[in-house]
Amino acid sequence: MGSTEHVERVTDLRAWPGDFPVSHLYTMGIAGERFFRELKDSGRFLGTRCAACDHVYLPPSLFCPRCFAALEEWKEVGPQGTVRAVTTAHRGVDGETLETPETLALIQLDGADDLLVHRIEESNGVSIGARVEAVLKEAAQRQGSILDVRYFRPV
Amino acid sequence: MRERTTPLPGTPLSDAAVHQGKVLTLEWPSSLRYAWDTGVAVGRFLSELKRGRIIGRRCHRCQRVLVPPRMFCERCFHPTDAWQYVEDSGTINTYSESHIRWDASRIEEPILVAVIEIDGASGGGLLHYLGEVRAEDLRIGMKVKAVWKPAEERQGSILDIRYFRPFDSAQDRPA
Repeated sequence: MGSTEHVERVTDLRAWPGDFPVSHLYTMGIAGERFFRELKDSGRFLGTRCAACDHVYLPPSLFCPRCFAALEEWKEVGPQGTVRAVTTAHRGVDGETLETPETLALIQLDGADDLLVHRIEESNGVSIGARVEAVLKEAAQRQGSILDVRYFRPV
Repeated sequence: MRERTTPLPGTPLSDAAVHQGKVLTLEWPSSLRYAWDTGVAVGRFLSELKRGRIIGRRCHRCQRVLVPPRMFCERCFHPTDAWQYVEDSGTINTYSESHIRWDASRIEEPILVAVIEIDGASGGGLLHYLGEVRAEDLRIGMKVKAVWKPAEERQGSILDIRYFRPFDSAQDRPA
């Protein structure tokens, strides 16, 4: 067997850097389309309800993942809610360091059984159980995105 | 669609609906950066390209010279034995006129690309560009030679060779 060769100095290690440019185009789906249209046009949050499971899905789902029933009952929820978990983020979604740390919370909108993640502002810290409300962009600036909600603030 | 084909369930969405804004969409780019560890063989290969030379590895069992080099002979299941410099000329094994880039995006001016069997290597080949030649003049088996970047511009990259050009091996000058 011939001897294998090894890199013995760290400075001899070589790596080839590269980059895959990937772009995503996400379509909302039927339930998502209705949810975001309603948020954009009317500034309201819509969930869907499964009567059999007595569960209100937010964001809305077209079917109940618990009993597989098709869901047709649409229900307005929020815009106030309760903080169910909270954390301070020092890094952004791409791992970059944030100059100003952000408060992120899981929020249960009134009438919904699921949680929504969003920023908390206008606050010196919230605790679990705190009551908050959505602060929306002006109607003309809304694009049908979860960022049409600028943030939540304490009530 | 054939008549007996059952349509798939779901709600089809046309390109037009998406691109004319009939449905809400969310678009975001992400950049997937990576660093590929070249390992010993390709690390040396790239270092040698920076010096303007092409290097391979010899397997003493099958007597092949592997270019690009590998530390392991996939034919003999045996570590390769020695480094060996090869020529910077070779033979076109196959070629193509490409109207798309590596990422499948369209380009205005088509590029000529080829697999080049390097002189001194045992088969295989390097995928590279061809230059100083028209597509209609290309043929398999044509002799080509590397056109290098100036030394100060070389970075230890396969692109330290700009392209391969046709050449007359008997006279060692452009054909």
